[in-house]
Amino acid sequence: MASETILLDASHVSKSFGGLRAVDDVSMQVREGTIHALIGPNGAGKTTFFNAVSGYALPESGRVTFKGEDVTRTVNWKRIAMGMGRTFQTPSVFPDLTVDENVRLGVRAHAKQAFLLRTPQGAAAQAVDARVDELLGFVKLTAQRDRPVSELAHGSQRLVEIAMSLSTDPVLVLLDEPMAGLAEAETDRIMGVIRDLRTRLGLTVLFVEHNMRVVLSLAESITVLDRGKMLAEGTPAEIAGNEAVRSAYLGTEVLEHV
Amino acid sequence: MKARTEVLLFAGFIAVFAAAPAVAPLVQLDISIVSEVLVTAIAVMSVNLLLGYTGLPAFGNAAYFGLGAYGAALSVKYLGVHFIEAVLIGMVSAFLGGLILAPFLLRRRGIYFGLLSIAFGQVFYFIAYRATDVTGGEDGMNIVRPYLGLPAAHVTLNEQSFYYLALVVFVVALFAFRGVVRSPFGRTLIAIRQNEARVRFLGLNTDRFIFVALLISATMAGVSGALFALLINFAYPLELDWHQSGYFVLSMILGGAGTVWGSLVGAFIYVIGKDIISTITPLWQIFLGALFVACVLGFPRGILGTISLLGRRRGTPSGTDVSAALESQAPTGASRGV
Repeated sequence: MASETILLDASHVSKSFGGLRAVDDVSMQVREGTIHALIGPNGAGKTTFFNAVSGYALPESGRVTFKGEDVTRTVNWKRIAMGMGRTFQTPSVFPDLTVDENVRLGVRAHAKQAFLLRTPQGAAAQAVDARVDELLGFVKLTAQRDRPVSELAHGSQRLVEIAMSLSTDPVLVLLDEPMAGLAEAETDRIMGVIRDLRTRLGLTVLFVEHNMRVVLSLAESITVLDRGKMLAEGTPAEIAGNEAVRSAYLGTEVLEHV
Repeated sequence: MKARTEVLLFAGFIAVFAAAPAVAPLVQLDISIVSEVLVTAIAVMSVNLLLGYTGLPAFGNAAYFGLGAYGAALSVKYLGVHFIEAVLIGMVSAFLGGLILAPFLLRRRGIYFGLLSIAFGQVFYFIAYRATDVTGGEDGMNIVRPYLGLPAAHVTLNEQSFYYLALVVFVVALFAFRGVVRSPFGRTLIAIRQNEARVRFLGLNTDRFIFVALLISATMAGVSGALFALLINFAYPLELDWHQSGYFVLSMILGGAGTVWGSLVGAFIYVIGKDIISTITPLWQIFLGALFVACVLGFPRGILGTISLLGRRRGTPSGTDVSAALESQAPTGASRGV
């Protein structure tokens, strides 16, 4: 499934906060149909880089192309229409709404029904219903569809967010620390879903993660950042054997008890 | 709210308010005060749409209210238009005011939106204040309530018929408002309040939604202002002042932000309370302030929001915790012009 086509190409991306150079001249490419991990110690600039790629906060310099188009200055909501989807470190959902309503909101937004003054009836409504069912089935939350998201376990909230980011039919899904704060069992559940993103839906995934077990078992390519700079890039085997990565990254791993 | 509850509530509302002209004198209430409640409630709804539903601190809606009032009053005085035309002119004036201000406001969030709204409102206030030749400046301008216009060209509204007209306009505004907030568009506004970043990452240009919400809000406030000027036959600069905006916000919070009926409840308490207490002491604002503090500390969802919270069996309560609505102003990329 992996091809040599470059889906996402970030070159020489930099972003500072005051005097701090959070991302310093980072270049990386994500090939279509792969699961690509972005790792690094806390403060390495992973999320900042993610924000630059997704348009949450634009970079100061550098260039980001997506599907061959320059999107460096493209507003975030337009990137979604182009086929990007993303999640956030803290699940970004609508806690008061039910699981169904959360996903439905995304499906309606994508079906261009968000601006309407009347709820569509007939075929348009059925298409939305079917898509909501499909997405809930994909993340295996059909049984909990009528519960408010705030009542769900953290891991399930993550799955709701993943379903929402899928509602816009993306080709590239950006997941920001999908396993943060999760127990082992929940981690395995989400790992299964991420694998399905690629194998069942044929999507490309770029994810930030701290948990090395997850990274080494899911990712085909790994990019390592440290203090805003690119430290290494390669396959899981190459990264696991890389001395520089070990000293910069695995030291903090121990401190974090991950 | 269940459909049956709502029908009962609406029937009760119509029964009480239709009987008001007969009942009000018994409790020594002037019917024009009840008219003021209905007219004010429309302006409170306009604030509710922006603040209660969308989470934008609409601290300057008196600008549109005043534009409606002056639009109506000036056109009556200088153009000699009829009542209905005056209301329409007031409405269009406020809509145009919104159209001019919206591009400046719609990318601002949180306190920046609030402060900029106040600032624009004050600009209109000072224009009305200074243009003494046209507006009468600080003294305001008296008008004579004109004929109703088509379809009853030569009918002048007395206080009672004005009241019934205000009731009709209020009911139309209420249903329009209810339709908007329950539509997919209204649901999107609520989603923007709860998590704008997520809405943008669902591919929606939230600025566009806020633009439309601003225009709807301005238009509603304009209708309210026009009716208010025609109710008291007077227009004065304080209608445009930020204090006036504050009273609308206050009434909305008291009644229940993010609830359809909360605006009426809040306007009722504010207008009637002001009327009663100000006959006893000129310091009526102290009581209003105390009530407001009690509300924010004790029941931040307002009266209706709290009732629905207590009465809910399952699902999600209606109404917005205003303090929470104002806190959730995380940067979204929108405020930076991304």
